[in-house]
Amino acid sequence: MTDLLVARNVSKTYFDTVANDNVVALEDVSLAIRPHEFVSVIGPSGCGKSTFLRMVAGLDKPTAGEITVSGRKITGPGADRGMVFQEYALLPWKTTAANIEFGPRLKKLPKAEREAITRRFVELVGLKGFENKYPHQLSGGMRQRAAVARVLANNPTVLLMDEPFAAVDAMTRQHLQEELTAITARERTTVLFITHAIEEAVFLSDRVIALSGRPGRIVADLAIELPRPRRWDALVNDARFAAYRDELTRCIHGTKA
Amino acid sequence: MKAARTLFAELFPFAVAVAIWQALAMAGIWPKVLFPSPLEVAQTFAADLASGVLLVNLAVSLKSLLLGFVVGCAIAVPLGYLMGLSRASRNFFDPLVNLLQAIPGLAWIPFAILWFGLGQGAVTFIIVMSVFFPVLHNLLTGIRMVQPVLIEAVRTLGANRGDVIRHVIFPATLPNLMTGIRLGIAFGFRSLVGGEMIASTDGLGYAIFNAQQYFQSARIVVGMLAIGIVWLAMDRLILRPIEQRTTMRWGLVREGLEQA
Ligand SMILES: Nc1ncnc2c1ncn2[C@@H]1O[C@H](COP(=O)(O)OP(=O)(O)OP(=O)(O)O)[C@@H](O)[C@H]1O
Ligand SMILES: [Mg+2]
Repeated sequence: MTDLLVARNVSKTYFDTVANDNVVALEDVSLAIRPHEFVSVIGPSGCGKSTFLRMVAGLDKPTAGEITVSGRKITGPGADRGMVFQEYALLPWKTTAANIEFGPRLKKLPKAEREAITRRFVELVGLKGFENKYPHQLSGGMRQRAAVARVLANNPTVLLMDEPFAAVDAMTRQHLQEELTAITARERTTVLFITHAIEEAVFLSDRVIALSGRPGRIVADLAIELPRPRRWDALVNDARFAAYRDELTRCIHGTKA
Repeated sequence: MKAARTLFAELFPFAVAVAIWQALAMAGIWPKVLFPSPLEVAQTFAADLASGVLLVNLAVSLKSLLLGFVVGCAIAVPLGYLMGLSRASRNFFDPLVNLLQAIPGLAWIPFAILWFGLGQGAVTFIIVMSVFFPVLHNLLTGIRMVQPVLIEAVRTLGANRGDVIRHVIFPATLPNLMTGIRLGIAFGFRSLVGGEMIASTDGLGYAIFNAQQYFQSARIVVGMLAIGIVWLAMDRLILRPIEQRTTMRWGLVREGLEQA
């Protein structure tokens, strides 16, 4: 199968105006992601994970190298690369339903179709009954699910997620992780997922890419061959799950020393 | 029942203020001309209402205020978005705006009279100058405070520049725009009264000024109260309902922080 997302020798250098110095955030990163693959990127804080995701989204430009999606070079943001932000970034002036309907509305889909899509994704993320609530009336976990639904409803080719579950409690997080794997398996979405939680990466992914400390370089690229659908109660005592987790832990700590 | 309780809560502070005022007037500490009693004011109010003079002055003043407000906003709001969204126009207009900003609306009176003659034209002009800056300034502050992540989020949903302006920047700047509008009207009232005292022969400001010439202190208070009542009515009937339906419903602005 041909690759969907390709990064070739991507580097990113920020200019620190205060220190009057260059900060190399990411150095010579190359990777390829196949359609329908769920790929997580892990690495220590400040290693350039968000930077990489933002470049894929088209919100930042690489200093060197290039990134292509479906063979086309990324020049700016687009609906084909939907992003879920750590801060949810729901529009406070739109209800849950209106937030989810936003992408289809920009695409000028007919009203009936938009409403059908909205209903479907509201149900998919379990927000039925909260369609007419504004984001400030939702719990953190509900906001996160609404943000995921908003992006999924826009049917992106690639779903980009930047530590989306970092701010929710452990129980909600496990629940959201299970939901996410189920949804993306059903929708056959390609996902690029950023986290610094190793277990989360193993649980969700088909592949986990580990970055070294700043400047970020790829130090491991590990295929996770655990059966789907995945559930925490089954995997928590699974020897293969533990083996993947330990291997990634070793990779990350090896680079820190 | 609930409506009655709300009305009571609304009126209660006024009842307290009037009671204290009446008690002070009855104590007879100051001569009546320096400190008219609420009763006298009420009588004058009723008389001026019956003779129609109050409503005529009110109509004249409101017309100047509304016209000045609309013209001031019609320039300030588009200019604010233009300056907020384009660096070139910001670089061009910002120094000019800053130079003019500190000049009070009333300082324009001499030119207003030279250009428009004595009358409501001159008054309207200085109201425009008074409304313009608070509206522009608050709008610019609002634009600077728009969260970049909201813009980025809608861009990754396929929004173009026009969509970003319509769906993010307009609603996000509404709380500050409302603040600007409130301040604009408040500044407009100040200039209205001051302007009418100097540059006009009718309107509430002129009526207050004129009453002072004849030592009609109750009539002065009637003019002041009329302004207060008009402002209160604008707030309760127009501005608040708008906020309740928008910025408050969206959770961007709260009633207060009593939970703190
Ligand atoms: N706009 C910017 N200007 C200057 N430096 C930046 C900017 N954005 C990021 N950096 C620097 O680039 C490096 C990588 O940042 P990035 O946000 O990608 O890290 P991260 O891997 O996502 O970290 P975390 O896990 O803490 O979110 C950091 O050293 C950061 O200081
Ligand atoms: Mg980050």
